[in-house]
Amino acid sequence: MDTQTLVETLQLERLEVNLFRGTTPDEEARSRIYGGQVIAQSLLAAYATVEARVCHSLHCYFIRPGDPNIPIIFEVDRSRDGGSFTTRRVIAVQHGQQIFNLAASFQVEAKGFEHQSDRPPAPHWDEVEDDIVVQRRQLKDAPAHMREWLDRPQPIEMRSVGGRIDGGRPEPRPPLQQVWFRAKDPIGDDPHMHQVILAYASDMSLLGTSIRPHGVNWQTPGVQTASLDHAMWFHQPTDFNEWHLYHQESPSASGGRGFNLGYIYRASDGALVATCAQEGLMRMRKPK
Amino acid sequence: METENLTETLQLERLEVNLFRGITPDNSPGRIFGGQVIAQSLLAAYETVEERLCHSLHCYFIRPGDPTVPIIFDVDRSRDGGSFTTRRVVAIQHGQQIFNLAASFMEEQDGFEHQAEMPTTKSWTELPDQAEAQREAMAKMKDLPEEAKKWMGRPRPIEMRSADARSYFQGGQAADPASQVWFRSRDPIGDDQHMHQVILAYASDMNLLSTAMRPHKVHWQTPGFQSASLDHAMWFHKPVNFNNWHLYSQDSPSASGGRGFIRGSIFAEDGTLVASVAQEGLMRMKKPKS
Repeated sequence: MDTQTLVETLQLERLEVNLFRGTTPDEEARSRIYGGQVIAQSLLAAYATVEARVCHSLHCYFIRPGDPNIPIIFEVDRSRDGGSFTTRRVIAVQHGQQIFNLAASFQVEAKGFEHQSDRPPAPHWDEVEDDIVVQRRQLKDAPAHMREWLDRPQPIEMRSVGGRIDGGRPEPRPPLQQVWFRAKDPIGDDPHMHQVILAYASDMSLLGTSIRPHGVNWQTPGVQTASLDHAMWFHQPTDFNEWHLYHQESPSASGGRGFNLGYIYRASDGALVATCAQEGLMRMRKPK
Repeated sequence: METENLTETLQLERLEVNLFRGITPDNSPGRIFGGQVIAQSLLAAYETVEERLCHSLHCYFIRPGDPTVPIIFDVDRSRDGGSFTTRRVVAIQHGQQIFNLAASFMEEQDGFEHQAEMPTTKSWTELPDQAEAQREAMAKMKDLPEEAKKWMGRPRPIEMRSADARSYFQGGQAADPASQVWFRSRDPIGDDQHMHQVILAYASDMNLLSTAMRPHKVHWQTPGFQSASLDHAMWFHKPVNFNNWHLYSQDSPSASGGRGFIRGSIFAEDGTLVASVAQEGLMRMKKPKS
């Protein structure tokens, strides 16, 4: 799926003023829906009820695994239309059950006090190998269908500093990682869609940060991982067709959960454009 | 004025299976303190959850709370799963949503462990009580409104000792957007882990937003300056005993567009990271009225 196809397939059908329906792209159909897709579609549902304001934050819970084979219903609650802020809640429903919720806030664009943390040092993206290139090398002896899977078009380009971890042989690393990423093909002129695609991409790799020190990953037999929540603050508008550094660190793993923070810096000027926080399940399954 | 006993004043009355009512203590000023609504919403959620501990919560402050009328808390039982329980709570006054919270609960488990190190800082034993220091500073000021003196000088349910105290009354000096404060519950909380989390959540809304104001030479009392918590997220990594001193280490990675963003880490005195916090707040100069 290229970026343009992603932008198209995220689009929702309006069933009623506050009710929307979305689908999962066919080629992404696996056993469960990718979390970033539901975040992106819920943000779009909220945006469909908001005029002339920009999202500055969102908070989500993943409640049940999403079923890729049927549509998702998005129900929007217009919590408040205030003088400066608009607040929305969205509930995503499948099979009569809540699979996901999002709360988000929108603001009239304003100017004010400015500060930001400096972008941490990282090698230039030109010096970092594309994750796909690294994966091709890691999978050179794998069955053909796995190697072909790598050739499909991708909506997001990713380059992991230090090389993408080998899923089959995850050596322990510190709980931090840096990934250069951007939308691979043009998103278009709509600034909302740049936020939506950034939100989509922000669920990639983040949970992996807290797993790194433990010498396991999502492919290790018996290991169970899943995003539990996701929060995101948009500090500044940005063009996600430009390269951004996703600097991720995990301050805590405990009780079967890992906690991760991610900072998204624009390459061209070092501006901190967004911050993410996510807790994920990461545990060994109990033997049956 | 007596110190507010939070374990009593935060308690809710159950109106129906999923519906609760709470009140605000008499001594509140024009609006309800955000930490109170977070704490009461978490209590409301806990009333519908059995044998699981909260590991995260996410809130939005939607409208200013009115301290003169009760607050209704409406709980949605989003999921009772095998390992996790999910709840949403909407707080209502005057027929309007003033606040929402979503939270997740889980059975205690063992698993992979790592944590960030506690930053080095002065021990709480070497630091003055913040309320005491504020009262002393206020006593020297003549132009501070009586109302502000009374409110800021009141006895606090949370003891705070700032490692890098900044005078709210003089202003003028810019500082880095970071701060460290030791805090704990003034009154004994008891044995209930839920209540320790609830009172920690209450206290976690204190001091945060002022960390983002530090570089900009503004504070609560700066004329024309407007500030308010917009959201609040909290992750409980470990059980907590909030009768003991904890270090609340905060920094603000961003201020932009009239908003400041702050993250906080809460450490027990032995260096255990027990909770993380994130909050965005409004911080802007009011437009002159034309």
